[in-house]
Amino acid sequence: MSINLLQRHVLEDHISGFETDPNPNHLAVVRRPVIFSVLAHAGHEAAVAEALKAASDLAPRFCGPSEWLAVSQTVGAETIGGLLSNIPGASFADQSDGKVLMTISGPSVRKILAKCVAVDLHSDVFAEGDSANMLCCHVAANVARTGADTFEIIVPRSFAGSVFDELMEMGREHALTRGFSD
Amino acid sequence: MTSYRLAAGGAVNRGQLLNFTFDGRTFRGFEGDTLASALLANDQMLMARSFKYHRPRGVVTAGSAEPSALLTVGNGARREPNARATVVELYNGLVAASQNRWPSLKHDFGTINNLLSPFLGAGFYYKTFMWPAPFWERLYEPLIRRAAGLGKVAMQADPDRYEKSWAHCDLLVIGAGPAGLMAALAAGRAGARVILADEGFRLGGSLLGESASVGGMPAADFAGTVIEELAALPNVTLMPRTTVFGWYDDMVFGAVERVQKHVASPSPDLAVERLWRIVAKRAILASGAEERPLVFGGNDKPGVMTAAAARTYLNRYGVAVGSRVAVFTNGGSGYRTAADLVARGVDVTAIIDARPQSADPMPEGVRVVRNGSVVATKGRHRIDGLIAERSGFEEVIACDALAMSGGWSPVVHLMCQRGAKPVWSDEKQAFLAPDIGKAFLAAGSAAGFDRISDCLKDGANKASALLRDLGFAAYEADIPDVEGEYDPSFAPLWYVPGAKDKAFVDFQNDVHVGDLGLAQREGFRHIEHTKRYTTAGMATDQGKLGNVNAAGIVAGMRGVSPAEIGTTTFRPFYTPVSFGALAGTVRAEHAAPVRTSPLHNWARKNGAAFVESGLWYRSAWFSREGEKSWRESVDREVLNVRANVGLCDVSTLGKIEIFGRGAAELLDRVYSNSFLKLPVGKARYGLMLREDGIVFDDGTTSRLSENHYVMTTTTAYAAEVLAHLEFSAQTFWPELDVRFVSSTDQWAQMSLAGPKSRTVMSRIVQDDISDDAFPFLAAREVVLRGGLQARLFRISFSGELAYELAVPAGYGEAVADAIMEAGRDEGICAYGVEALNVLRLEKGHVTHSELEGRTTADDVGLGRMMAMQKPDFIGKRLSMRFGLTAADRLQLVGLKAVEADKEIKAGAHLLKDQAKPSLANDQGFVSSACFSPSLGHHIALAMLKSGRERFGERILVWDGLRGSEVMAEVCSPVFVDPDNLKLHL
Repeated sequence: MSINLLQRHVLEDHISGFETDPNPNHLAVVRRPVIFSVLAHAGHEAAVAEALKAASDLAPRFCGPSEWLAVSQTVGAETIGGLLSNIPGASFADQSDGKVLMTISGPSVRKILAKCVAVDLHSDVFAEGDSANMLCCHVAANVARTGADTFEIIVPRSFAGSVFDELMEMGREHALTRGFSD
Repeated sequence: MTSYRLAAGGAVNRGQLLNFTFDGRTFRGFEGDTLASALLANDQMLMARSFKYHRPRGVVTAGSAEPSALLTVGNGARREPNARATVVELYNGLVAASQNRWPSLKHDFGTINNLLSPFLGAGFYYKTFMWPAPFWERLYEPLIRRAAGLGKVAMQADPDRYEKSWAHCDLLVIGAGPAGLMAALAAGRAGARVILADEGFRLGGSLLGESASVGGMPAADFAGTVIEELAALPNVTLMPRTTVFGWYDDMVFGAVERVQKHVASPSPDLAVERLWRIVAKRAILASGAEERPLVFGGNDKPGVMTAAAARTYLNRYGVAVGSRVAVFTNGGSGYRTAADLVARGVDVTAIIDARPQSADPMPEGVRVVRNGSVVATKGRHRIDGLIAERSGFEEVIACDALAMSGGWSPVVHLMCQRGAKPVWSDEKQAFLAPDIGKAFLAAGSAAGFDRISDCLKDGANKASALLRDLGFAAYEADIPDVEGEYDPSFAPLWYVPGAKDKAFVDFQNDVHVGDLGLAQREGFRHIEHTKRYTTAGMATDQGKLGNVNAAGIVAGMRGVSPAEIGTTTFRPFYTPVSFGALAGTVRAEHAAPVRTSPLHNWARKNGAAFVESGLWYRSAWFSREGEKSWRESVDREVLNVRANVGLCDVSTLGKIEIFGRGAAELLDRVYSNSFLKLPVGKARYGLMLREDGIVFDDGTTSRLSENHYVMTTTTAYAAEVLAHLEFSAQTFWPELDVRFVSSTDQWAQMSLAGPKSRTVMSRIVQDDISDDAFPFLAAREVVLRGGLQARLFRISFSGELAYELAVPAGYGEAVADAIMEAGRDEGICAYGVEALNVLRLEKGHVTHSELEGRTTADDVGLGRMMAMQKPDFIGKRLSMRFGLTAADRLQLVGLKAVEADKEIKAGAHLLKDQAKPSLANDQGFVSSACFSPSLGHHIALAMLKSGRERFGERILVWDGLRGSEVMAEVCSPVFVDPDNLKLHL
């Protein structure tokens, strides 16, 4: 007997009903990103960081000393897993199902995020390519700046509905729209 | 007519007429008015009744320190009591009402308190209402609360939205008056990130109410040009209507922005108030100075106000506060007010100057009474004259307003909120800001400067100094010339002797000079005691006007300098902040983040009732048609698991991935039992202790490969255990090569339990899971039919043959559906945490109800988990302390009710049979209890003194709280399958 198992996104129920065109301020949920936790063992910290930076098809997100999230929206989990297993001194765990990736963008994005995180997101302080773990809407999140007015937020799956609702609430005065990115 | 709107002038928009009502009467004001200026423009001098004596009151100030003109604004659910009319921005349709009066503002029955006032001095109710004691709560306090008071709060739910936001800057400038504007300009031009916040709806501070000219133009216009330049700078954020109310650790300032308090119908998409937390590298306090009232008899009559207030109403709002205004002053401010009034055609009847002489220029044609004082005011609901005294001679002077000036107090509140006390200056006769380091400076009149030109200069200089400190290039600001300044210096006058009526110090709490004297006589001499005894400074204005006068008067009574008296303690908030703003979005469904399991939808489809467990929502039980109570569902679920098979969501348990060559050694040291030789492919139950030998947490850890383990923790301690592991690895044993990461959210984990669980699981899993191939405590990665990679563990909390299957979270719902389908013929049911709890109770397994921070491994019957042969593990040393090994410790036992239908309740206490119900006879307590459907009666786990020696004894289970006594028999805590035969099927 073979069982056909379907994957279901946790925000499926939050993003239902009539879809409209995205406004300038928009929250896009990435349906199936690949996200791995990467840990560098003692003595390999710099080498692992370098290897992650140099790797194609993945973006490293800084979580804390010797810990990153490796994010890819272009290739599959097996490719990323293979790539990571070739980095000496690195351990890794697939978290693609445990994390939810959202992209928030638009001219008011910093005003919206100022209601969600306590960290200064001014480009002099948090430049394009920077990422860090921080509380976002009371939940431990990883936030990355991927463009002048674009940020990616990664939150634990169990909290995703809550953070999503909160982001939409904070974006209300800026006419924030939402949808899956594909 | 007494107070009225001038034909021209002021910064109000006379083209924009606004209608509003006060106590049902319709009035008109202009855009740019405050409620107070609009009421004055309509000759409504009487605005309120005082807190205690119900005396008629009007405005005392034109700003946020207002103690008297407290009104209720808005109606319905938006009714807001105690709004200061002096800062309420007028809008079309505003509805205002007076408060603390009955039946009307003009005819208030409560004025009887004023007649009774000889008996109602400070502290009267401490002395009067002492007997009989129960009357205080039932009679006296309700009566006093009715008679004295402020406005009434709306009882409906607040219909509006509030929110919180963060802001970050190099320099925060608090106050947009002359010093603040120049500070912001200097910093803004230098390229720093600047936030300029001001409580007013129009930036400019005192410049808006002054008649001097700055930079060759009227002061208000000058403010306008600076603000225009600041607004154009991308690095400057202007925040009008924003009160900075608190200064907290790490240079975080609290502020509240009134986003939509000045509109009749707020937009539902916007917050009405926004609470800001402003993180500033440096800050400047440019909050200005407050003019002190003079303390003389009848100084609270409507129409008596500070000279600066009269000037502000005149210059900013184009409102004359009277048609014949008298001035009582001890400094230059009174003269300036008189001059401004005369210049606008308002009659000034006299300037009564407390000083024998002064160099202040006299307005032409105005009579000056030197060395004079005011001893009483006349008039019922508003002032219509005053009694002046000079050299023993009294004279009645007719007037319809009285502008008073008692000198200036710098507003230093924010700088004193973290413990530093303001410092008395003999030169300035004022309390000045303390030195609190180089990050936060006072500037302008907040720093004791009293002329506009000095304030402008000081603001720019202080900003430049702070910016240099931050590495910005020095910027030389050009300071504009000021023309038409006056000298605001003054001679101190704390109390005007000879008062023929009460001389109020604290207007809002009706504290007069006599009360301060009484406090001294009765021994409440320290200013903090004087404050509490008299309630001076305890009202919603926190003594902004009165506290300095109180200190000066007490100093005078004691014959010492105000420096020796000092001030009371400054605390946030600077002005009142609404609860709505403090709560922000954290209300109703946004009160706390909700955490849902990957099987949440599956549980919902199967009829789950959910229970909050921390932030998690866990499925508690699954009702089926015809079941009338939760117990029916739970009993069915338990029996079905024991007889057939059930599926339970255990995704909320914490999961931690552990990597590294040192992982085995680390586990061996953090668990009390042995882990060094756990083979690959096996799970083991582990017990963790705290350093002090008490049990910390429990769970299973499985070895998936040589250097890769996965640990499970309890739901409650998932984060704590991860932190404990990180702490141990980083600080105790940095030499061990080991790394951790939580994978709780990655896996949907389900427990399939019951004698038929293998049959069902083998329809889902491709691998061989026969007892030989996959025995008890096996733990391996497996492949599901259809190809999905998963983790399978043969572990059991229920005591039945059981498996835990972990699949990637996104597939959780689909896999659970598939299992339910695969088990249909076996009679599978979904079961929740309630049934799980009954199952584990029947099996005698402990949870955090037993591992509750006071119990040792031995206490809960897990003494065998202490591998004392190991050289060390966390908690080993202290677990051998005498107190933790004493024979009479509480030990885990089972209880069964002697009469089958009697219920044992968790939390009840245990007593020896026949013992008197009392905690003196306490033998222990019930930690968890349930009805056991397998046994047909109530059972419980309990902690009982030397409990393991007492199996068979009958004890009394006494629930004093809920009033029940049940006899129970002490027994082994394992009620079902004590020989673990079912685990190895």
